[in-house]
Amino acid sequence: MSLPPPTGFPGRSPPVPTTTFPSPPSVISPPPSTTVRPTSRTPFPDPANTPQATRTHQQGPFTISATKLPILKAGPIDSLTSRLGIPIPEMIFGDNVLSITHAPSGWSIFFSAEPALDLVDKTGASMLRVAYASSWSATREKTSAGITEVVKPFDWSYTTSYRGSEHPSPSHKLHKADPKKTQIPLELLKRRDPILFADEVVLYESELDDNGISMLSVKVRVMEQRMLLLCRFFMRLDNVLVRVRDTRVYVEFGTETVLREYTAREDSFENVKRNLYMSGLTPDAITVAFRDANQLANLIPVVEHEIEEVQLAGAGGGSSS
Amino acid sequence: MPRLVWRDRAPPQKADERLTPIPTASVDLDECISRLYKKELLDERVIEAICAKTKELLMRESNVVHVQAPVTVVGDIHGQFYDLIEIFRIGGFCPDTNYLFLGDYVDRGMFSVETISLLVCLKLRYPNRIHLIRGNHESRGVTQSYGFYTECSRKYGNANVWHSFTDMFDYLTLSVVIDDKIFCVHGGLSPSIHSIDQIKIIDRFREIPHEGPMADLVWSDPDPDRDEFSLSPRGAGYTFGSQVVKKFLSVNNMTHILRAHQLCQEGYQTLFDDQLSTVWSAPNYCYRCGNQASVLEVNDQGERFFNVFSAAPENDQVKDQMNEKVAEPNALPDYFL
Repeated sequence: MSLPPPTGFPGRSPPVPTTTFPSPPSVISPPPSTTVRPTSRTPFPDPANTPQATRTHQQGPFTISATKLPILKAGPIDSLTSRLGIPIPEMIFGDNVLSITHAPSGWSIFFSAEPALDLVDKTGASMLRVAYASSWSATREKTSAGITEVVKPFDWSYTTSYRGSEHPSPSHKLHKADPKKTQIPLELLKRRDPILFADEVVLYESELDDNGISMLSVKVRVMEQRMLLLCRFFMRLDNVLVRVRDTRVYVEFGTETVLREYTAREDSFENVKRNLYMSGLTPDAITVAFRDANQLANLIPVVEHEIEEVQLAGAGGGSSS
Repeated sequence: MPRLVWRDRAPPQKADERLTPIPTASVDLDECISRLYKKELLDERVIEAICAKTKELLMRESNVVHVQAPVTVVGDIHGQFYDLIEIFRIGGFCPDTNYLFLGDYVDRGMFSVETISLLVCLKLRYPNRIHLIRGNHESRGVTQSYGFYTECSRKYGNANVWHSFTDMFDYLTLSVVIDDKIFCVHGGLSPSIHSIDQIKIIDRFREIPHEGPMADLVWSDPDPDRDEFSLSPRGAGYTFGSQVVKKFLSVNNMTHILRAHQLCQEGYQTLFDDQLSTVWSAPNYCYRCGNQASVLEVNDQGERFFNVFSAAPENDQVKDQMNEKVAEPNALPDYFL
């Protein structure tokens, strides 16, 4: 019945009758009681050592580079917050970058969190409300009286139309192309050509206070003759809305052609749920599918589509033909 | 070998949730604990019996549990089982160290079932040495979207243990006060609560509601740029500012607020002239954030000391497993389009 001498607990809460839970006299054996101080294991490189956090691949005249670092610390978060003027997502990978550079022409494009967040509406004009917001404010009218101030209205779903940050060269810049004539060659990308380089970096993620998910991430795969980059914004506001906004950058190394395709998809949560149900999924599988943009994307109608192109061949010195 | 044997039948359950009859339970808690330390799953019926017993235990706890230092305070775990074991390695195992957990035991990580099973067994075995506060993820609604439900169904082939655990969650306490001086809660303060006596009268034996003081305690966040309460731009929920903290501490004659709920890269954050601390205990959150974690030791002089740690090395195996899983349907690597 006797525990080892208490080291402080219990406090003043009435003790639980020991008759209900007779405490065995001996102490469990497995845990060693010595206090081990933490060792300095660092699974992630230090932000100061960006070169070590960066993987680079050279394919013909193109250089593909991915930098992966931990979420920002409090200091950098404060300065980013004041630069952007809005509170930033709780998982902010502000040091992560994925870039494609064409050295002969000086053209490049990179993907990172800050310019993406800079495109989030900061006025509150396109602000969404969580599903239970109206019932919430109705029942809280008494206690909320006097609390009318809304913290910095902004699009807290962190919806962005970010398509990457292009650094055009004097003579090379992405320009709109005719979507009927210019398309990313899906058939070529479906081929199982060996992948020479692949990586994925998250730029930011928010759980929307557990009302859904908002996530922006970029992945890339490089084959011998071509590469594909996909920057995907995925936002699900439970019982309200689902958005998928994809930016694909396709590079044909032989012709040094770069295509950028932007596809925005959006539908009500209810419609997406119905479509998942109609596709034969069980309720459990629907729950899983709602966390997976890959499963949702093709069920959601396209609301915006655009394709751009830039031809980099013949720039600067030699080019791989 | 000491045994805690229950010969009584578990209380009758709601018929729609319990399709199989509940057998007479005979549970050896020490054996359960040592199996859980090895990350073995307990039998579904054992979980059911343990949760039922835990409910009886928790039912007797006040909405404000008073404890005395020394105590080690732990923030969000989110199913990161290996890191929970790391916390015990760093801070000392139960019952040699007193623990206060601030909630969010489940969801997001790979081992929510193992994590909550172990914590519940420890609570039952050493009820006065370990205290568990309810977080916003200890709820039916949230666990259906963020992983715990799916994990339960996958590991047990049905949702019975999810029902057992979430039924038990309804009984977890809402707050703890250390030495009458430090107020501990998962999220933060509520505009409906000025005195802790107002917490004591909340009817907490229920699912976490969307609104009201119970929701605020598990949901709200501090805002260092504000003085008072503000409405969240999401249309529900509050943030609280410096004057709110000051007033609450003075009304209740306390010195500090200790909470979890928010990820911080350094593992902890102190605000409002050291009147409020956030403690975060899930290192490398979701196996990809690369953040530090901490536990907070409050010694018998009432001094606070953050013990910062990184992800346990065992997590590397998890990452490999996850990668394999992602690749399973197709061949590795990912031929995304």
